[in-house]
Amino acid sequence: MRYLKLIGAFFKISSQAELAYRVNFFIRLLHSGLNLLTGVLSLVVIFNQVEVIKGWDMPAALALLGVYLLLGALRGLFIGPSLESVAGMDGEIWTGTYDFTLLRPVDQQFLISVRHWRIFALVDLAMALGLLIYALVTLGTQLTIGMLLSFTLTLLAGVILLYAALLAFSALVFWNPSFLFTWVINDLFQLARYPVGLYPGWLRLVLTWVIPVGLMTTIPAQALVGTLSPLMLLLTLAFTLAAFLGATWLFRQGLKRYTSASS
Amino acid sequence: MPEPIIQVKHLTKVYRVPERAPGLGASVRSLLKPHYSDIPAVTDISFTVEPGEIVGLIGPNGAGKTTTLKMLSGLLYPTSGDAQVAGYTPWQRQPDYLRRISMVMGNRSALNWDIPPLDSFRVLSQIYRVPPDQYRQILDELIATLDMDALLKKPVRNLSLGERMKCELVAGLLYQPDILFLDEPTLGLDVAMQRRLRTFLKTFNQQHTVTVILTSHYMADVTALCPRVMLIHHGSLIYDGALQTLAARLAPFKLVRLQFSAPVENFDDFVAQWPAVEQLPMENGLRILRVPRADVPQVTARLLESLPVADLAVEDPPIEAVIDQIYAEGVL
Repeated sequence: MRYLKLIGAFFKISSQAELAYRVNFFIRLLHSGLNLLTGVLSLVVIFNQVEVIKGWDMPAALALLGVYLLLGALRGLFIGPSLESVAGMDGEIWTGTYDFTLLRPVDQQFLISVRHWRIFALVDLAMALGLLIYALVTLGTQLTIGMLLSFTLTLLAGVILLYAALLAFSALVFWNPSFLFTWVINDLFQLARYPVGLYPGWLRLVLTWVIPVGLMTTIPAQALVGTLSPLMLLLTLAFTLAAFLGATWLFRQGLKRYTSASS
Repeated sequence: MPEPIIQVKHLTKVYRVPERAPGLGASVRSLLKPHYSDIPAVTDISFTVEPGEIVGLIGPNGAGKTTTLKMLSGLLYPTSGDAQVAGYTPWQRQPDYLRRISMVMGNRSALNWDIPPLDSFRVLSQIYRVPPDQYRQILDELIATLDMDALLKKPVRNLSLGERMKCELVAGLLYQPDILFLDEPTLGLDVAMQRRLRTFLKTFNQQHTVTVILTSHYMADVTALCPRVMLIHHGSLIYDGALQTLAARLAPFKLVRLQFSAPVENFDDFVAQWPAVEQLPMENGLRILRVPRADVPQVTARLLESLPVADLAVEDPPIEAVIDQIYAEGVL
């Protein structure tokens, strides 16, 4: 409860800072709209040629695009800005103001993960949700409660996976402030726009189990169209848990290193 | 006697610093096989501080002042040794401990620069779980004593250094910590602002019995605020005690300033009768003598009875001069 209140306070204060620049809102609107438009258009172009690609038809691909945009929106809403303010260029670790963050009587991982919000990313969130709902309606007749449930679970897993990956890469900055590698995730995440099944075998494996951007979007979309096996669902959830614990461990190690070495 | 609030025993901090020779070749080699050297920052220091004390931690740049403060506030693990602050081990960083301490640094900002300080204060009060009515009360008090009504609604970015420093102090005090670590709080401020902050700190310390450890390069901060000083040099605590005693131990002289009502001839010869007394260059038409403490009564008596003295003052040498001497020589 207290942590929810704190999130509320952080959200409010970040919004205040951002609302001062109203023109950003329109730029964001344009950017998000273009992002959605190009995504949908490229699918329209492809599915005008063929009905089905490796088991994916138009509504399924739209659902996947919806998941992709939703994750991107959440990253832009708070995960990205929060982690970047600590571990990014000019971040707190770089400038030394991380000392103050360390002094706060609140769980460190919580604090650095939810402290900064970009309210205009809510535009992306709304568009992504709109697209997802549209895809759900198109798929409508075939949907079961079980599918919706596993979709919700895997979508949550996708968010956690994305967070864990970004946290792990951010934690590297504790070892050396020039280890700014979160762009790796950002770049590879582009590949999650399409089902991992479309990529060649070795890349598919990498994108599923090494840098799991495939797991983040393909699996929830598969859950929605009913092609996700129970085994894969379990594996995804287990992998997510492991990734979260691993990233948390890495972050704590980094923190320990920071407090024992920095000057 | 109350229990000391801060107990430090044999605290030591050694930094491991990567070392490499200049040049590209050496850089590549150090990438493959890094070479480290151990830099001792703080070596075996021990002291205690009573509740409500204001202690000045002084020493030249790189002496280990900030490292000591960082260990006491839990930002750094020591290499060895122990510290208990308010019953806690600082580097375990328990939330209950962090709520009782505060660190204010002159060269770093704890505030969000894009928003007005008042908004930052409110979030901090939530982080520290200050009840709303208590928050209102302490904030009103701080705002009134620091005279900063006008600053509260401007973004921090638009404040002057002195105004920002007031805000940093409020941010550090609004949850009423018991222990305050001040790292060069007056850095870069003009003289008037320095004086205001000093007065504020003194009053706040008295009204709230907050224990303060302060580092500063401005001796005026220390003389105004700290009856007790700890002097760190090359990581070792070389003095811990009253500021006045430090001055007396270092400078066993007093300065006697003289003004005459009529010209005095042969003044130099007159002074020569005391081999231990030294004449310093004149300042604003005043003669200045450096007299051993023990000889001061006798010398002043002779001066008054033999010469046309209009004014005579006996002073301690300026503390800066005393401290400079230690920084340069490194010994007491």
